[in-house]
Amino acid sequence: MKVEVSATSINKTGTELAGPGAIPSGLAEAIERAVHLLPMQGPITSFIHHNTLHAFEQLPFHDAVLAGAELYSCEPYLPEEAFRRELARGRIRVADLSAIVQADLGEEADTPLLLLCTRRQLRMAMLEHSLLSAPASELRWFVAQADALRRFRADAPADQRRSCIEQTRHWIVRDLLPSIRRDPMNSSNGTPEHQRAAGLLRDLDPAAVDEWGDTQWEAFTLKTLWRICRAGVHGLAHAAPAEARQRHRDALLRATGEDTDLLVNEMLIPFCAAFLDQGLARWLLPERETGFIRTFQLLHGQSDSKLRPWMRELPEELQRWEQHGWTAMAAIHDSLRQMGVHEDEWPAFLTRTLLALRGWAGMLKQMELRQETAEHPAPAGTIVEFLAIRLLLDRLAAQDVARRLLRDELPVSQLRAKRPIGPSETELTLDQRAFPVFQLAQILGWLPMDLYRLSKSQWAALVSEVEQFSGLERRRVFQAAYERKYRIEVLDAISAHGPFPPTSKLAGRFQAVFCLDEREESFVRHLEEVAPAVEAFGTAGFFGVAMYYRGVADAHFCTLCPVIIQPQHWVAEEALSAVEGLNQRRAKARRLLGGTSHRLHVGSRGFLGGAIAAAFGVVASLPLVARVLFPRSTARLRRHVDQMVAPPRSTRLRLERVDEKPSRVGGGIGYALPEMTVIVERLLRNIGLTSQYAPLVFIVGHGSSSLNNPHEPAHDCGACGGARGGPNARAFAQMANDPRVRLALRERGLSIPSSTHFIGAYHNTCDESFTCFDLSDVPASHGDALKSALESFRVAQERNAHERCRRFDSASLSLSPEQALWHVEGRSEDLAQTRPEYGHATNAVCFVGRRQRTRGLYLDRRTFLTSYDPTQDDAESSILAGLLSAVVPVCAGINLEYYFSRVDPGGWGCGTKLPHNITSLLGVMDGAMSDMRPGLPWQMVEIHEPVRLLFVMEATPAAMLSIMSRNEDIGRLCRNHWVQLATLDPQSNALHVFDGREFVKYRPEKPLLPRVASSVDWYRGWRDHLGFAVVEKGG
Amino acid sequence: MTVERLIFGLGLMVIGAPAALMALLGLAAVLGRALAERTVARAVQTAIVVGLTSSVAILILMLVVGRRSVPIDLGHLVSVPHFHFDVKLLFDHLSVPFVILTFVLCGTVSAFAGRYMHREPGFNRFFGLFSVFLVGMLLTSLAGTIGILFAGWELVGLSSALLVGFFHERPMPVRNALRVWTIYRASDAALLIAAILLHQFSGHGDFTQMLGSGAWPEGSALLTHWEAFVVGLLFLIAAAGKSALVPFSGWLPRAMEGPTPSSAIFYGALSVHLGAYLLLRVGPILELSVWLCAIVIALGLITAVFAAIAGHAQTDIKSALAFASLAQVGLIVAEIGAGLRYVALIHILGHACLRTLQFLRAPTLLHDYHRLENAVGRHLPRLPVSWEQHLSPSLRLRLYRFALNRGYFDDFLFRYVARPIQGFFRWCNNLELRWTAWLSGTPAHDAHTTKATSIELDEAA
Repeated sequence: MKVEVSATSINKTGTELAGPGAIPSGLAEAIERAVHLLPMQGPITSFIHHNTLHAFEQLPFHDAVLAGAELYSCEPYLPEEAFRRELARGRIRVADLSAIVQADLGEEADTPLLLLCTRRQLRMAMLEHSLLSAPASELRWFVAQADALRRFRADAPADQRRSCIEQTRHWIVRDLLPSIRRDPMNSSNGTPEHQRAAGLLRDLDPAAVDEWGDTQWEAFTLKTLWRICRAGVHGLAHAAPAEARQRHRDALLRATGEDTDLLVNEMLIPFCAAFLDQGLARWLLPERETGFIRTFQLLHGQSDSKLRPWMRELPEELQRWEQHGWTAMAAIHDSLRQMGVHEDEWPAFLTRTLLALRGWAGMLKQMELRQETAEHPAPAGTIVEFLAIRLLLDRLAAQDVARRLLRDELPVSQLRAKRPIGPSETELTLDQRAFPVFQLAQILGWLPMDLYRLSKSQWAALVSEVEQFSGLERRRVFQAAYERKYRIEVLDAISAHGPFPPTSKLAGRFQAVFCLDEREESFVRHLEEVAPAVEAFGTAGFFGVAMYYRGVADAHFCTLCPVIIQPQHWVAEEALSAVEGLNQRRAKARRLLGGTSHRLHVGSRGFLGGAIAAAFGVVASLPLVARVLFPRSTARLRRHVDQMVAPPRSTRLRLERVDEKPSRVGGGIGYALPEMTVIVERLLRNIGLTSQYAPLVFIVGHGSSSLNNPHEPAHDCGACGGARGGPNARAFAQMANDPRVRLALRERGLSIPSSTHFIGAYHNTCDESFTCFDLSDVPASHGDALKSALESFRVAQERNAHERCRRFDSASLSLSPEQALWHVEGRSEDLAQTRPEYGHATNAVCFVGRRQRTRGLYLDRRTFLTSYDPTQDDAESSILAGLLSAVVPVCAGINLEYYFSRVDPGGWGCGTKLPHNITSLLGVMDGAMSDMRPGLPWQMVEIHEPVRLLFVMEATPAAMLSIMSRNEDIGRLCRNHWVQLATLDPQSNALHVFDGREFVKYRPEKPLLPRVASSVDWYRGWRDHLGFAVVEKGG
Repeated sequence: MTVERLIFGLGLMVIGAPAALMALLGLAAVLGRALAERTVARAVQTAIVVGLTSSVAILILMLVVGRRSVPIDLGHLVSVPHFHFDVKLLFDHLSVPFVILTFVLCGTVSAFAGRYMHREPGFNRFFGLFSVFLVGMLLTSLAGTIGILFAGWELVGLSSALLVGFFHERPMPVRNALRVWTIYRASDAALLIAAILLHQFSGHGDFTQMLGSGAWPEGSALLTHWEAFVVGLLFLIAAAGKSALVPFSGWLPRAMEGPTPSSAIFYGALSVHLGAYLLLRVGPILELSVWLCAIVIALGLITAVFAAIAGHAQTDIKSALAFASLAQVGLIVAEIGAGLRYVALIHILGHACLRTLQFLRAPTLLHDYHRLENAVGRHLPRLPVSWEQHLSPSLRLRLYRFALNRGYFDDFLFRYVARPIQGFFRWCNNLELRWTAWLSGTPAHDAHTTKATSIELDEAA
């Protein structure tokens, strides 16, 4: 939808600016396509996980990653060595590889390839053995200096090696040598066949051969093999390299070694940062609200030419724009013409131009879309104006470099035709093409004489077969095998465990509804172990309450719901009237303190303020040393002090609306009763909690808090749009407790006994704290039940902290649960901690179905748990369809963002956190002048296994197929393999796996699961990912 | 006499512990042994705690005994008739506070970095360079002769350039490290020339003798007015390079490429003050020439004003802090020029602590702003720049452009210094090519485009 908005705005700009018929309509379209490819990450202050390659979702996954990788110069999969390590440690099995190769090749798998081997054998050899490929010069060195031509590869089977050497020896002594001896050694007038043989053996001394031992024969066999391979490959046609539509900068970089992007970026980065600044700098870019080009003209309309000669003509050009009254589109058109870019290459050229500074360009676009929410949004059309300026600067820089270093006055339009110096980098040399065949011959036991007899066309076939199975192709197969292994484990576990029929509902002491977040899985599991009578549910953690919320101590309303929803309601927290006076006094004190510390913070960066601050600077060393050396105690002390001005604890939510229409002030705040009823009913029906209510039902939202972490919001609740979900839980509980709502619900067939009380709670996934809201409202009769439930939560907290700590290298494996809780509390308050928690890392599965079917299964914090009861759904599966419309895109978005940031941390991700530098209050740069870095930092993804999310739905294949055809977003993600999909039959343990077209019945490999008494018995002492097990206590 | 011996022993510990640390980490790197993170952290902590306690003990002893200056002579490294290179440390009211500051900040930052750099592949490299820096800082502060000072100065320069280029897998850190290194080399050259001239003029490079009898901050140099002017000017150039004074300021934001803790310790706290420290140390020389003092004050103030202006326009937190640091360094330099040495020293100490804290907290900015906004109850007000309103619009615009582009100092140096030098060497190169071509009788343009002989692989095998 956002894309459409941008398209219209561009079109508008386009038509406004173009003189009659001056600008071809294709330009707006080309720009729109290019803009669509920019990163979609908005300001980092509310982090929303999304598919990094969102723009490519209409393509199948593998095609999309290849296209994306090419376009953004990133890696599509993990490196091949990483996969080989996984193969070596058994994370990928040969059987998995073999199954994928079989599926790729289909019936052709066993087609013999020139009688040497089958196609499957060839591919498997290339997968199982690491073939050396290297730059031409390194390869040359390797062949000449290393053992390549003396010893067989270590991984060549010994018997094959022996037989190869023996047969080659016979062949040379019996066949080749006599044939050469028959004619005198005069290669110029022998038959071609004879010449070939003579060439092969040209430095062989026939007399010495008889004296040779094994070593000499091994070396000679290899040398012969190498010569044959080289000769075989010689003269074969190259696969046509894809013609890269390059920018002027690329041509110049290759011709001169000077990168014009450096010049241009050095100028554009500070400008973009100042243009978008949300309040970091004290001094604002003058008149920036007038638009990108206007401000740029204002700033650079006069010449800096003395110091930056390449910009000499900039003022002149900008004036020309102004004189002609050109709009951005007209300017772009003009630049393209001057740069000699033809209309058919506009989309590609403009895309590459925009992507040259893709982080900043993307942020400009995002700020353009945030007219409502941002403090300083960018005016509409900014990205087009940016492109106009970029093209102009590109042109000036190219002109300058060409003049200076190529010393010719070639017009810019012809620069790209400039022949690059040196050989083309893309074309493989003879050695590079021959070497894989040479290595495969050793592994697969191809004999030199067999290869010798191949005709040219046979060689072409062989080489093309080898080259077709390129590094990228192999990594694709590895990736698929990597996912297959885990998928089989998951499906086996569910099939072996999922008790059928599901155990009947317990008459639970209490029930708890959590966010579906995979981090809550372990919390739920431990809670079930501690309190076997608990019944747990999972659902999107905004609990159906989509709202703008303002806490009693908050400055603004923040959005608490998934990004795909636009809230219609406002909710505010208020102090109870009894403490209102106190609240006012404390708010005043906070205002005073806040204002002072802000002034101090900013002032100390100034001139005199800094001098004054420095006079007392030695005092600053006290908090400095304390914070760094004793983070936890300092934080405690600080909290005590803060407590004195904190808002009073007695607050309530203003939840019921007085006015007709919702608004952000006064009586407009809150929901009307019917709206509350709908919210409560929908959630309870979604999770299947429609009967057998326990006396206490906890609704648990979650979030995370950490210090020194620009990516802090990325750890918050995704279903709340990267914010903390406590207020949603609280609001839901308050609604569900309202007797009028209950009455209305009864009329709609949902009767909640009056003895049931809902309690909102908040779980901090970083410091593991667990807070309940409005406990004073709990009826006295529930006192004991509440006490015992809270005690269960407390133990679960500690155990959950303990299980999390096994992942942290800096936490000893021998910690006790209490120490573990202490440890995670320390992490969240430590300024120096770059991994306060691991967030969504390791997520891999999303289970949608009754908790009873996975309860008691150790899922290793890798599974999103969504409660859904198929037996309560209607024939159209409308509940499931409604659930999935949010669950699939949100979970897939999280999973894919982690996938991409993990496979190329510096490319799709934002690299290591260590040099990050917060810019414009919008995002991070590396150092003081780099592109804006979207994506996730390495410290968040390092333990992640990049596999596509596997959805297991407790539904029939037919129901899923119908949902996929009804909901295009879900259908596209599933059919294009952006996620994996399987169903668990609601009536049995049968599983079906979706193959892109249809569901195929799954046959479990392992019927039994290991059994352990409790979770800790299974994970203790282990840092890495764990397999599945039945946890008896939790079952 | 026992007090003397005690101070001597403690003095050895102050420099010995960090030197041992450097040797340990360096040796481990040379032998290719990766030490465990915990081991490295322990070693660093031990060295710093030993050094810190020793230096505090020295301070107390000096105060108790009432000595204002304690030189520690460790003998001659080189001794020829007209030159001897003494290894001599000087503990006085200038060096001891600076040493304590160094230990406190390095200790804090190393504790921070031990957790911040956890699991970073370059963990050991970071602490190796960190220890080099620590030794360099101590040598520079404690130097009793100009030779030792130069040695420490070089170690600091080397380690900072290598830490700027810490992430050497990306091109920008390496480019920027090279920039920093180039500026440092230029300032090092000035320092070296100054040292030689000083030897020439006064016969030795020993601070205690060269700067007269009185202990710091008194003392008076035994140079003529003009000698002092020339040497002092060279010292000023050296200090300007190290402390990023105008016109060398361009490298300071570029140096933010390294990990946060190294940015904090180098450009917020210690390294950036080293130029000021040098000026403090040679204060008696500056004092001899009024003109020199005037130049120092002017340079300091210009830098301070420039940095304050530029700092207001920076949109990223690390650059903003870097320029904030620079503004204070400029003020400190001006104070030194005005002869306010104790003021300058206190200013350095306070400022270094404050800025280190701010740098270490830099990644928390968004969190802090969020808290502050909630406390204030609205968007944080933009604190207006007081003088800005009084400017005419066109001047304001020009000043803003000047600030945003960080004063164009890099462009200036590139265009008017680097380019001409580059041009000159190109010209020399051409000359040489022509000369060799003439000697060998081949046309000139072939001489440097000889094709690499392609070796037929087959034959090589």
